[in-house]
Amino acid sequence: MKARDQSALEYLYDRYSAALYGVIFRVVKKEAIAEEVLQDVFVRIWDRFNSYDPVKGKLFTWMLNIARNQAIDKTRSREISKEQKTGGIENVVSRIDSETYVEQPIEGLGVRDVLKGLPQEQKFVVEQLYFQGYTQSELAEEFNIPLGTVKTRLRLAMQQLRSSLGVK
Amino acid sequence: MNISEYISSGILEAYVLGELAPHERADVEKNLAQYAELRQELALIEEAQEKLFLQTAIAPPATAKAQLLERINGAQRGKVVQLQPDRSLRAWKLAVAASVAIALIASYLAYDYRTKWKSTASDLSTLIAQNQRIAQDYGQVNQRMDRIERDMKVMNNPEFKRVMMKGTGNAPDAMTYVYWNEASREVYLSIQRMRSLARDNQYQLWAIIDGKPVDAGMFDGNEEGLIKMKDIGKGATTFAVTVEPKGGKSSPSLETMQTAGNVEKG
Repeated sequence: MKARDQSALEYLYDRYSAALYGVIFRVVKKEAIAEEVLQDVFVRIWDRFNSYDPVKGKLFTWMLNIARNQAIDKTRSREISKEQKTGGIENVVSRIDSETYVEQPIEGLGVRDVLKGLPQEQKFVVEQLYFQGYTQSELAEEFNIPLGTVKTRLRLAMQQLRSSLGVK
Repeated sequence: MNISEYISSGILEAYVLGELAPHERADVEKNLAQYAELRQELALIEEAQEKLFLQTAIAPPATAKAQLLERINGAQRGKVVQLQPDRSLRAWKLAVAASVAIALIASYLAYDYRTKWKSTASDLSTLIAQNQRIAQDYGQVNQRMDRIERDMKVMNNPEFKRVMMKGTGNAPDAMTYVYWNEASREVYLSIQRMRSLARDNQYQLWAIIDGKPVDAGMFDGNEEGLIKMKDIGKGATTFAVTVEPKGGKSSPSLETMQTAGNVEKG
């Protein structure tokens, strides 16, 4: 990979593109945009591979953060450009949209199933952080939950999920 | 630091999500470097996260991969000039990495071969030593066989007279035999039971011929098989063994007599 070995990139793509696409798609919610972001993500992985430091974490963690950030950036830039173009009413509608969305089921297979054993408030935090593109501080601010509580809820949820995910 | 409190605050999860401010991040990295327990926990968190996303994965459209590869190849073609210095730097780094790797591999192989060679050499010298010992044992057994064959010939030869010599009052348990061939004058002695002697003493065999003791040679108390003694003249009537100083004497110290026996007539 560091030698720009294209087959290494293909290997990473084959192994991880679906996991990353799941993250991206759930955040941006449109297939065409999700595909574009996925490509951007892999181009970034390709260009920046030298900056990946195995000491600081797993490769997947590094790639996931690139995907998550790109997806979040994409939705924001769209919202901003929408706001700039249409302003006022559109902005209100979009905010209503994003609020009602929270109540809707998450697209894709498995998320509900995987999270179904968790207490409601933990499930909510995982969904928002991992599948809706919220950052921890946004979530705290928007839903008026202390940041420390967001952190401990994510911690408790992920700890509880370990056995059903097959983590020793 | 209270590690379990630190872990249950959820700070590691936030770190994994890339959500910490730079100074918090640096703190976490410092703690990770210091505490193995934190590193283990981090690995579990990352594993759980990876599995969560693998389980909730959605396959991207099939066209995405080909487009991605085209983008990457196109970008490379477009960037050729710009990438030139970077590439040569990378090539240089690769060359250094390769030569370091080759040096490491070569020294490992050298070490490995040397270890193997040394163990082979030591195996070989062990085998040579074993071989020598077996050859020695074989030689000893062979000599023993030769001696036993010779003893058998003596004992089975009717020309040899066997003279039983019983213990005297000095040594009631002692017993020796003499095999004597009057025609060839040869004398052999066989020890049945004799006590071992002080270092500067030896047994001496005497033949009584015409009433006079004749020296028939020295022997030690611990010899096996037939001991070849000195040839003696004809007409011995009695054999006797005395204890004498090492090397023997010309006339027996009769008071030390150990065994004695008369030659049977005929």
